[in-house]
Amino acid sequence: MSLADPRLQGPAATETTMPTSTVTSPPSTTASNGNGARRRRYHAEGLEAGKRSTRTLLWILLAAAMIFYGFPFLYLLFTSFKTPIDTIAVPPTILPREWTLENYTNALGRSGVLASFINSAQTAIISTVLSLVLAVPAAYGITRYKTPSGRVFIMAALVTRMVPPVAIGIPLASMMSSVGLADTPIALSIAHTTISLPLSIWLMSSFFEAVPQDLEEAATVDGCSRLGALWRVVIPVVSGGIAVTAIFAFLASWNEFLFALLMTAVRSQTTPVVIANFQTQFGLDWGSMTALAAVYSIPVILLTLLLQRKIVAGMTLGAVKG
Amino acid sequence: MSTRKTINRFATIGGLCTAVALAATGCGAGGPTNSGSAASTVNVLVEAGGHAELTGVAEQCKKDAGIDVNFVELPYDGMFNRLSSEFSSGNVSFDVAALDSVWLPSFKDAVQPIDELFTDEAKKDIFPALVKEANVDGHFIGMPAWTNAEIILFRTDLFEDAANKNGFKAKYGYDLAAPTTWQQYKDISEFFTKDGMYGTDVKGGVETEWLAHVLQAGSPMVLDENNNVVIDNAAHKEALDFYTSLTSYAPPGAAQVDWAAAQNLFNQGKTAMTRFWAHAYRQIPKDAPVAGKVGAAPMIGGSAGVAGVPGPWYLTVPKATKNADNAKKFVKCAYDYNSLGIESSLGLASRISAFEKYQDKSGYESFGPLITTLNGKATDTRPATEKWQQIVDTVLVPLLQKAVAGGDSTALLADAKKQIQDLLK
Repeated sequence: MSLADPRLQGPAATETTMPTSTVTSPPSTTASNGNGARRRRYHAEGLEAGKRSTRTLLWILLAAAMIFYGFPFLYLLFTSFKTPIDTIAVPPTILPREWTLENYTNALGRSGVLASFINSAQTAIISTVLSLVLAVPAAYGITRYKTPSGRVFIMAALVTRMVPPVAIGIPLASMMSSVGLADTPIALSIAHTTISLPLSIWLMSSFFEAVPQDLEEAATVDGCSRLGALWRVVIPVVSGGIAVTAIFAFLASWNEFLFALLMTAVRSQTTPVVIANFQTQFGLDWGSMTALAAVYSIPVILLTLLLQRKIVAGMTLGAVKG
Repeated sequence: MSTRKTINRFATIGGLCTAVALAATGCGAGGPTNSGSAASTVNVLVEAGGHAELTGVAEQCKKDAGIDVNFVELPYDGMFNRLSSEFSSGNVSFDVAALDSVWLPSFKDAVQPIDELFTDEAKKDIFPALVKEANVDGHFIGMPAWTNAEIILFRTDLFEDAANKNGFKAKYGYDLAAPTTWQQYKDISEFFTKDGMYGTDVKGGVETEWLAHVLQAGSPMVLDENNNVVIDNAAHKEALDFYTSLTSYAPPGAAQVDWAAAQNLFNQGKTAMTRFWAHAYRQIPKDAPVAGKVGAAPMIGGSAGVAGVPGPWYLTVPKATKNADNAKKFVKCAYDYNSLGIESSLGLASRISAFEKYQDKSGYESFGPLITTLNGKATDTRPATEKWQQIVDTVLVPLLQKAVAGGDSTALLADAKKQIQDLLK
């Protein structure tokens, strides 16, 4: 990418370069100059109008996408404020006819809910840290030492994502039980790491790929060891990527249901199982279920907002390569 | 440098969080458990909806026998997998498991006999169909904790309306009252299907109701006593034809209607009658349009009389638990204090005496019809085969969905017979 690249010079640069085709036509008279200026202005206005309509179209598409993705959550939120009869209305209504906080009182007053939140947080934190501790060196090794075994390893990591969790859930539960870890958050964290680790390795690999090797070489010239260069130079550069990976690993554990169902009992039951417990063989308590689900989403929303800048930076890291 | 600082800050926060999490990991926030030990704590695995049923029993058991009870609540859909997983591994995290009756044959080898709890007195106080079902291969392996059956729920305001009474008598030649036969049920359904309202619902997503009609028509359900597949006999066809004939008087989309949908339709006042589990009578929301306007009657009868399919849950003691003595003490407590379940939100029991104690009290009007249905001469339990759940999921429900959508009943039943025979091979 050179400095002459219009992408680096902002919109003004792009605008000035656009009408060059008209400028190249040979100027002959004053009239023709005036016509040319008018043509250029019309052309520029046309482009401006085209940009405006494209922008409007993009905004409409964005709004549609937001509604498409956001509506289910909004519906969940509205349902959590509905009275019992409103939650099962036929046909269903979007807004509550009568607003109530009763569902939140019921859901949060249920025994075991607080404990399940603590268990979810413990499990997600441990699983996230485990994923990062294993994925960062693994991805670094794969991207910097481009060996055949590294390529096999990363493909193998991808293949593990293709194994349905239910196929490994039952053996994993038996294994944890036989090593005395049954019904503990650590066992569940290890299980969740099996889900998030392959994705974490792949994500981190793409982030490390985007870091020029010259940076590390410069650091080693300045006296850093390989690990020192990794810690002092590379990791700060990919910190956004680490944040993105951490968010994905955290979410994978925070929302996971099947392993939690198979591996937890009295001590370490997590909130997704408690939320599912509102659907029983004898009925479905929509109000309490949606209220607890809404509360359970808060930490994830806060975490995303807190790390928003890092996430955006991380997502664009590796998108443009020089 | 600011990035370095950010990294260090993240590393410190992450490290602290991990340290705290790891420190607390030893026991989890749900409290300690002694499953599998000989402690006085008993872990009871129960479907989330049944937890409330046993809470009172647990408190009483603590007082009487000094046993602490921890409940492990799980959603119904995941419970079978969890039970399969633990029973097959030989390590169980619970000392007592509440099993749906349909799972009893599947787990018969993983639970221990509790014959000593089935005294003559107990056997007299438990519905005959349940005593039969609890006995697998000559041993009692489960104590019924609560039971249910489908009864008729109907709108009293509509049934007592003078105009409706006169109109019905003029059209059908007999008085409008809670139906007792198939024909009456059909007539009343037809009568109330008007002005945006429907007479009844038809549930294509669940099989139990059609099976109750099969019993009413005089045949065992799907398999006879020798495990021969009889799903293509005349009674099954008669029951299926009756079942599908009601789709004209039911809301559209019957193939997708399950218990939850049918209950919603009735509670919203969209249907005049429903055949539904008895517990629903006490679960009508207070702000529902039909609240205070619902009556209960026994399940309708066919040529073989009144019949329903009982829906009990059984308390079982796994062979793998090391806490069997206390587990059995808890099961006995659950039998002794069975009526405490009636005071719970679900409001069910399994002993005849418990239901009879409450049947004349206000708010428990569904108990009389429930007792009548469970004592019905044709009432019977589901076939005791390990493949039952598979038969239901892969054959019976698809069969019903095709039937209510207009499929040919003879062909569908013949096809179902072949499929079930293949499953049982």
